[in-house]
Amino acid sequence: MPQLLPFYFVNQLTFAFVVLMIMVYVFSKYILPMFTELFLTRMYITKL
Amino acid sequence: MLNNFIIASSPLEQFETVNFISFTAPILGDFVISLTNVGLYTLIVLALGLESSYATLHSMVKEQVGSSNEIYVPFIYSLFFFVVLANLVGNVPYSFAFTSSAIVAMGLSVMIFLGVTILGFMRHGIHFFSFFVPAGTPLALVPLLALIELISYFARAFSLGVRLFANIVAGHTLLKILSGFLYPALTSGILLFFVTLLPMAIFIALVGLEIAVSLIQAYVFTILTCSYLKDAIELH
Repeated sequence: MPQLLPFYFVNQLTFAFVVLMIMVYVFSKYILPMFTELFLTRMYITKL
Repeated sequence: MLNNFIIASSPLEQFETVNFISFTAPILGDFVISLTNVGLYTLIVLALGLESSYATLHSMVKEQVGSSNEIYVPFIYSLFFFVVLANLVGNVPYSFAFTSSAIVAMGLSVMIFLGVTILGFMRHGIHFFSFFVPAGTPLALVPLLALIELISYFARAFSLGVRLFANIVAGHTLLKILSGFLYPALTSGILLFFVTLLPMAIFIALVGLEIAVSLIQAYVFTILTCSYLKDAIELH
């Protein structure tokens, strides 16, 4: 089964973790704070 | 005066791809990168999709892990999008679903298991082991039950990854096998073409199911991660 060939494990794991870490960094630093601010602003505009 | 105006226009003009801004360079052959109307709307859909899923994932974390543990939202958000986009991109014909790779799925689940266990030990120290003895257990049953709970805890590391890996591999294998039969049947004459239309419709339904499975498996992976986080933080 090609998924179980150990030769490619290091390559697959490295790419998967590097991409996941980049996504966690980009989301937590830029995208999610933007959304939090947007939802907070909407709440202030409508409720206050 | 009327003959100065263009009256007839094609109703198909709305579907044309219009270039907004592009960059052309005579490198690597003919290098062109351009922002078209198709590209712009795809980016808008991505932004709307990211924004609308924020509320869903935020409420999932609040419900499962608790309101005081919103620090885990970025990780859960990234994990969900990582898995769902991996699965959906893999559904495009001739592409590759990297969640069908056993080591990627297992690597993710073992990483989550180790992270959650380390978090549990950091928060509760030696008291973390009380998680393996459910409340109200008779003293005589504690050794056996603790052993069973320990085995089931370690099984989480593998079940989370294997569930994702097996679903994606099974779905893609099925589609590959069916398309292997359908293509020769559809191209082998007019009678066989009409006979194969019903199996083709079933195959298209299976493609739809595969897309649903991609979304569901990403959701299940994420919600189970939230549940394991909650178990480590609250120990019950």
